[in-house]
Amino acid sequence: MTPFLSARGIVKRFPGVLANDHVDFDVRSGEIHALLGENGAGKSTLMQIVYGLYGRDAGEILIEGRPLDLRSTRDAIAAGIGMIHQEFMLVRRFSVTENVVLGLKAGGGLRPLDLAGPAREIAELSRRYGLQVDPSARIEHLPVGTQQRVEILKLLYRKAKLLILDEPTAVLTPGEAEALLKVLRTLADQGHAVVIVTHKLHEIMAAADRVTIMRDGRVVGSVKTAGSSEAELARLMVGREVALTARRSTRPAGPSVLRVENLTVGDDQGRRALDGLSLDLREGEILGLAGVDGNGQSELAQALTGLRAAAGGRVLLGARDLTRASPADRRSAGVAYVPADRRHVGSVGALSIAENAILGDQRAYARFGLLDRRRSRSFAAELMERFDIRPRKPEYPAGKLSGGNLQKVQLGRAIASDPRALIVEQPTRGLDVGAVEAVWAELLRLREAGKAILLISAELEEILNLSDRVAVIYEGRIMGEMSAAEADLRRIGLMMAGSHGEEVGHADP
Amino acid sequence: MRILERRAAPAEGAAASALSTALAVLAALAAGGLLFLPFGADPFSAYAALFGESFLTWRGLGFTLLKAAPLILIGLGTVVAWRTGFGFLGFEGCVMIGAAAATWVALMVREGQILAGLPFAAFLPLAILASLIAGGLWSGIVGLFKSRFGGNEVITSLMMNYVALLLVQYLVSGPLREPGGLPQSPRLPRETWLPQLFDGMRANAGILIALAAALVVWGLLLRSRIGYEMVVTGLNPRAARFGGVEVGRRQFMAACLAGGLAAMAGMVEVLGLHHRLIDGMSGGVGFVGMVAALLGKLHPLGVVIAATLYAGMTVGADAMQRQAGLPSSIVFMIQSLIVLFILAGEFFRRYRLRLPGRRTASAGEGV
Repeated sequence: MTPFLSARGIVKRFPGVLANDHVDFDVRSGEIHALLGENGAGKSTLMQIVYGLYGRDAGEILIEGRPLDLRSTRDAIAAGIGMIHQEFMLVRRFSVTENVVLGLKAGGGLRPLDLAGPAREIAELSRRYGLQVDPSARIEHLPVGTQQRVEILKLLYRKAKLLILDEPTAVLTPGEAEALLKVLRTLADQGHAVVIVTHKLHEIMAAADRVTIMRDGRVVGSVKTAGSSEAELARLMVGREVALTARRSTRPAGPSVLRVENLTVGDDQGRRALDGLSLDLREGEILGLAGVDGNGQSELAQALTGLRAAAGGRVLLGARDLTRASPADRRSAGVAYVPADRRHVGSVGALSIAENAILGDQRAYARFGLLDRRRSRSFAAELMERFDIRPRKPEYPAGKLSGGNLQKVQLGRAIASDPRALIVEQPTRGLDVGAVEAVWAELLRLREAGKAILLISAELEEILNLSDRVAVIYEGRIMGEMSAAEADLRRIGLMMAGSHGEEVGHADP
Repeated sequence: MRILERRAAPAEGAAASALSTALAVLAALAAGGLLFLPFGADPFSAYAALFGESFLTWRGLGFTLLKAAPLILIGLGTVVAWRTGFGFLGFEGCVMIGAAAATWVALMVREGQILAGLPFAAFLPLAILASLIAGGLWSGIVGLFKSRFGGNEVITSLMMNYVALLLVQYLVSGPLREPGGLPQSPRLPRETWLPQLFDGMRANAGILIALAAALVVWGLLLRSRIGYEMVVTGLNPRAARFGGVEVGRRQFMAACLAGGLAAMAGMVEVLGLHHRLIDGMSGGVGFVGMVAALLGKLHPLGVVIAATLYAGMTVGADAMQRQAGLPSSIVFMIQSLIVLFILAGEFFRRYRLRLPGRRTASAGEGV
């Protein structure tokens, strides 16, 4: 059977990087094909070439065996190739139908836009593929999972036969992710070709038929999932054996270090992001805070670190009331923070690694008002040595570091300040398996050293792997808290969706 | 195949930045060179006359340095403000405020006034301090609006220019008016004038003040802890807050310092060139200084080079018109072309050209 799309010998150079090195890749109609690889392995570049966003230095692209003259995304769309990016391209104030026809010549000129016809067609598509999207609904009223299905509708309406999804489950709850994979299966069953770009191994095993693995710009393997395993995929992707589960010792938690009492905080729009939230973080434990993004996790982290003012409640470090303390005071009192947005909050991309390594600690590096650059450089060199940050050049701009290396800078900086409590937010988001392993190991080492760690994560796997206790946040409130032993995926998943998780017969602690 | 392609990452770093600036200047000179042709003039000899006059003759160099000093000071103010993320445009007004403050102090040195007989070595620090404080307070108002109330500094600082210009107009037609004369202040006593750099050279100590200021700004912005916090604030206020930087305070500081530096430019103009306060004497120098800062890539030392080059072109333009009969407006067009080409250069840091020939070559080596 001829594949729907084949890429043959694709070469793509950027100055100093060979992003794609004679890559062969093909997708058949009716299959879900996963494209797996660490960050920087070249999988996004490959998909952007296929979608016409980038030109290529060599190689050809065939659609059903015929060469495709691909010059722009318009050519790609005309050939039946569609792509959904991580950030959705939707107009929030428009209806589903308006978003779907946006950019097509539906009315044209001065003639009024005909929306009734497209709306009927969209409803029909939605029914046929089990998308459950109401064409007249406004985007801003739809949950993220549904918005993603609107993106799928946009492609189907444009008669896409190949759908490429870049990290599609990153923004979804476990339930939504499951529903999406079901939709993708329906699409494949009806003859579409589906590519998911991801680094989540369990998802690939659950959903994909075949998987192509890339490393350092080359394809290192293309296998059927049925004959493979997570361990094999991880080994192919990283190039060595990796431990996918973190080993924790059992260790009794010590006295309380950081207490949050009835904290109420507003978000940027003035809505209530935290609503009387209480937590107790103890010495030598990792408290996992699970929740879908946007349920107040960021606001909690910001309120704990002084970046957001509390409207009510208290934050206590030991006996000291920090509720009104400045970020600098909290830091020197022993609260360290590793923000989720490492590129825009935790670091300054245009500055060097050395300059980023002292961010927050700049006072300690000043003598008579001047920064001691030799000391900051040697500190950065030390960090890079200890946490294996590459390239090992303190003068290298932080913005050019990979996500994993940048995260190690952030984490190393926080650890070096020898905090009593550490707040880490989405510490492994967007990191590849090798980097995840390193970050997890570091967090567990800190726990052994008796630090109190609040782990805020939307990745349940991470929460379950690392935490001693698990709390679930939903709309600014704690839905429930349980020890690691009682935590199970289903119960946490229900709480993340806003129910108290009592359906499974547990009472709240 | 497409000709323009987005780079994987924008070309960054000092080398890329310096190269794109140098290429922009060369491209502007090349394009501007065409403008000489209708006059039957040879562009190369025209440029030789232009730069020869302003940099290679004693007299021309004097004028160049005279004009460069205020541009450098204003450029430095721009660097401080913009690097801290404070989009201040009120330099013109601050120049006038600084000029007024320096005039006021200098007039007190006259016979019968309280500072009469003050030696120059004591007067100069006093004048510098007065202009710094006056300019700093003036721009500080804008800074306060921004850091306290979130007022848009671009608009408020532009409006403050008019207030300053009109305030000086009021001063020279009222309180500071020369008795019976034009709307201008009395001539300042000779002992308050900035001394000439060398005998017979027009340049005065203003250029030394400007160079010293460049050194101070370089040390503050690029070597000190406070400068570090300012730069982080400008690059990324969220990261700055995360790092315990008081963003509002740093922006307020930057505003005051920027205004103070521009006010020193006004002082240098009054004490070094005009020797009295004149209505409208700033004549747009506050805006040209911002251009110099942009050409200097917002680096203190780059500003010194760019301001001197800019001043030299202006001086050379006059000479060229006098000597060769070529319109000096060509030079001003070239100055504008430089700015345009530098902005275009930004584009090429993000995109690269792909010439069709290259693709075939690399395709050939494939498989």
